[in-house]
Amino acid sequence: MRIPVKAVGAATALLLSTPAFAGWEPAKPVEIVVAAGAGGASDQMARMMQAAIQKNNLMKQPIVVSLKGGASGAEALMYMKSSEGDPNKVLIAYSLIYMLPLSAKIPFNWRELTPVSVVALDQFVLWDNSAGPKTVKEFVAAAKAASAPFKMGGTGSKREDHVLTVFLEQKTGAKFSYLPYKSGGEAATQLVGNHTEANVNNPSENLEVWRAGQVRPLCVFDKERISYTSKVTDTQSWADIPTCKEEGVDVQYLMLRAMFLPGKVTAEQQAFYVDLFHKVTQTAEYKDYMEKQALKPIFLTGKDMVQFLEEDDALNKSLMTEAGFVAK
Amino acid sequence: MSQTDLEIVVDDPTAPEDDSPSVVSSGTIEIFVCLLLLALAVTLGYDNWRTGASWDATGPEPGYFPFYLSVILGGGSLYGLVVALIAHRKAAETFVTHAQARRVMAVFVPTLLFCLVTQFLGLYVASFFLIAGFMRFVGKIALWKSLLTALLFTTVMFVTFDIAFDVIMPKGPLEAAFGH
Amino acid sequence: MEAFGLLLHGFAVLLTWKTLVLMMVGLVLGIFVGVLPGLGGPNGVAILLPLTFTMDPTSAIVMLSCIYWGALFGGAITSILFNIPGEAWSVATTFDGYPMAQKGRAAEALTAAFTSSFIGSLVAVLLITFLAPMISSFALKFGPPEFFAVYLLTFCSFVGLGREAKHKTVISMSLGLLLAGIGMDTVSGNLRMTFGSPELLRGINFLVAVIGLFGISEILLTMEERLALRGHAASISLRVVLSVWKDLPKYWVTLLRSSFIGCWLGITPGGAIAASFMGYNLAKRFAKEPESFGKGRIEGVFAPETAAHASGTSALLPMLALGIPGSGTAAILLGGLMVWGLNPGPLLFVEHKDFVWGLIASMYLGNVVGLVLVLTTVPIFASILRVPFAAVAPMIVVSCAIGAYAIQNAMFDIWLMLGFGVVGYVFKKIGIPLAPFTLALVLGNRAEDAFRLSMIGSGGTLKVFWSNGLVGSITTLAIVLLFWPVIDGLLGRVGWRQRDKLAIKD
Repeated sequence: MRIPVKAVGAATALLLSTPAFAGWEPAKPVEIVVAAGAGGASDQMARMMQAAIQKNNLMKQPIVVSLKGGASGAEALMYMKSSEGDPNKVLIAYSLIYMLPLSAKIPFNWRELTPVSVVALDQFVLWDNSAGPKTVKEFVAAAKAASAPFKMGGTGSKREDHVLTVFLEQKTGAKFSYLPYKSGGEAATQLVGNHTEANVNNPSENLEVWRAGQVRPLCVFDKERISYTSKVTDTQSWADIPTCKEEGVDVQYLMLRAMFLPGKVTAEQQAFYVDLFHKVTQTAEYKDYMEKQALKPIFLTGKDMVQFLEEDDALNKSLMTEAGFVAK
Repeated sequence: MSQTDLEIVVDDPTAPEDDSPSVVSSGTIEIFVCLLLLALAVTLGYDNWRTGASWDATGPEPGYFPFYLSVILGGGSLYGLVVALIAHRKAAETFVTHAQARRVMAVFVPTLLFCLVTQFLGLYVASFFLIAGFMRFVGKIALWKSLLTALLFTTVMFVTFDIAFDVIMPKGPLEAAFGH
Repeated sequence: MEAFGLLLHGFAVLLTWKTLVLMMVGLVLGIFVGVLPGLGGPNGVAILLPLTFTMDPTSAIVMLSCIYWGALFGGAITSILFNIPGEAWSVATTFDGYPMAQKGRAAEALTAAFTSSFIGSLVAVLLITFLAPMISSFALKFGPPEFFAVYLLTFCSFVGLGREAKHKTVISMSLGLLLAGIGMDTVSGNLRMTFGSPELLRGINFLVAVIGLFGISEILLTMEERLALRGHAASISLRVVLSVWKDLPKYWVTLLRSSFIGCWLGITPGGAIAASFMGYNLAKRFAKEPESFGKGRIEGVFAPETAAHASGTSALLPMLALGIPGSGTAAILLGGLMVWGLNPGPLLFVEHKDFVWGLIASMYLGNVVGLVLVLTTVPIFASILRVPFAAVAPMIVVSCAIGAYAIQNAMFDIWLMLGFGVVGYVFKKIGIPLAPFTLALVLGNRAEDAFRLSMIGSGGTLKVFWSNGLVGSITTLAIVLLFWPVIDGLLGRVGWRQRDKLAIKD
């Protein structure tokens, strides 16, 4: 289970060779639609983009972040679907575009939207309380030995965190009780308060409690370690976290962060945003944010993006089916 | 001790008469509301039953709470219905008099129209019509005052929300013509 | 002292021009909202909430809480000058406030009202300042069972202690809980009660419901009544203010008693309305000549105003610390917190120190500024009432629609607001209480999630609600409160009723 990462360099080169569009420009404030609650990873990213665009004067019109986290993000998807032809709304999407239509039978298909670009890939890390087991082996042993349910916290039900938990169970043979919280922040504080034994939060969601020494990262669900080597806590950097494979648990998962326009927008409109978000990825704000939140930088657009999405969709679909999360 | 005891008097020329006949009694409305709630309880109860309302290995299913809540709501409204039916035979307390109903409708109908117009022409145009129309026809205020107030209020709202605070409101063809 | 250091930090957060301007704007809007008939604290805050969506949380809460203080002050103006309580909690203020105005002592009555509001809030803020740090120390003890127990306690106290017919409270609460359940269920990830409608997918937003239930229905109800008014104009001179303040020490018992009642009822979900009546009644009971109350006695203004404000302010403590609103307005502020991305609850004090202490500092500052502001601007605000209702009513309707739409940018919500307006109007007229309904809408989902997470965590046994001292005692207390009428009856039979001789009638 791995996500194919296309040759990023090639895509970027291709983009740079396209002539700068002088054509279309938004005449109204642009909405960045966030499919999650306030303060979550998507919201933070949207606000970073807002700041990057405004500080570097990348666009004349103001950018507004609009939170549509209702119904676990389905609200945002339906909102984008119903805004067909409106070039002033950009969705900041993540794996829910594949999973939600499967688990909750929401009448939505990402192919109905206009893809703009993939802007980052997000990692998942296995965390436990700093008073808990120190390594993956000890952790798995503790989970197997536990008499009461061994509690794993996460965001939402039948989504990334839940899928990862199911695959952890399959690979280790341990049994977890999955507790779906409303947000990654809640999952983090519940772990700190010892109400759960572990969680599989994104780096950004557990960053603060890790720095406070309240939780411990056990392993990262990727085929290679995170590349950032500057110290986050007194002793550790993101690169110091071993991969789960190194620790003997071969589970890998990366989540896309991508921008979409509603369906039926013109090619000029699409091109404007491709260019805009490409410029965003060049800003200091973006680079700083990627490092702070331990995100994997990537920029895909056009055909590469569609191919990436198709492959990613197929992968997520098979994971969901295998986990038994597809609604009949 | 400074005492500027001026009187402030505001009269209400369209006040409802006190001896207006009753349109409907509170009891009748109570019965009606209880029946509606009962119907709602049955509909929601059925839907939740369909979703799954039992208690599986890891606790209640999604429909469990809503199902039993519909049962409670149904029970409550049934009880209310019985109480209202018994009380109905005795005294008939007025729910609304004829004059009151007219005045309530005088607000409700324009509000309804306002929502409808908002859907098609956008909020700002609708609010201009609502304020101007209400002041003129319900309040019997001079036409120029009504129009001016409506225009001022709508403009202030537009500037505050759409321009100063970037809160985007539903807009229609008029705003589009001005490029908003 | 930790609290003191944090408070100073809070003042530092606050003392920027931007925040101070927002504070003034909030206070003026609040007084305005408090004075206008058909609007009030909760409505005003709900309608003006969208203005704060694009602000940072600290500025947003400062402005909103100032609207709230303003509305509290504004309610007193109409009660005293026009015998129209702008808010339900200012009803008791009219008992002696209006007679004072009739005797030509309006300025005195207003000064007394504003000053005692100030004192009441101040006592409550002091309480919050010193209790808040303690809350953060046990914040991390709250897991799903503890949260559920606290929600249960809130619901039970409403059913057990409510004054309305029990079945009506039950109807109102279960309806609220049901509507809260519409949409996606977080625990299972399934949709429910949406009947395939994409509009129902996101669920019913509680703020939309509140704007309809209180804003629109209040317009309908106000319209039903005669709108004529006759009142007194007054302006306050420095001399009157000083003479009232000079006499303050004489009334220290009344002030202290009312502050205490207010704080107590604010923290438990009794609310400002009960507090103001209780404050008034107790002052009357303990007075040397109770028959002089109701004829224009200054203590009759001091007592209810102090209690109402102490209660209104202290209601923010359970809202911030436990995510449980002690009043309608606190419930709306709670909705705001969630919009700004702050999770109310014990952890708020750990994770968002700037916000919490900025808010507490703004309570001090907002009250001082508010006091000066109302004392100087009474004549202007009193004259607002001259504006005909026919002009005010449609403006309120428009403001409500803007508020309802802005929360989720959905036209459907405007229709929903209208629907709730009708529901609110009918429910108020047939005596179905709205407070349990709104409470259920706010807390319903969270209570259910907490319960189900507790079940998953415990492997499906209810014993988890008695698994430690903290959760056990809260759960037990909740059950006692639910059956309070029964228990009270039994105790009465044993003869414990003696102590109730001191109890208050209202």
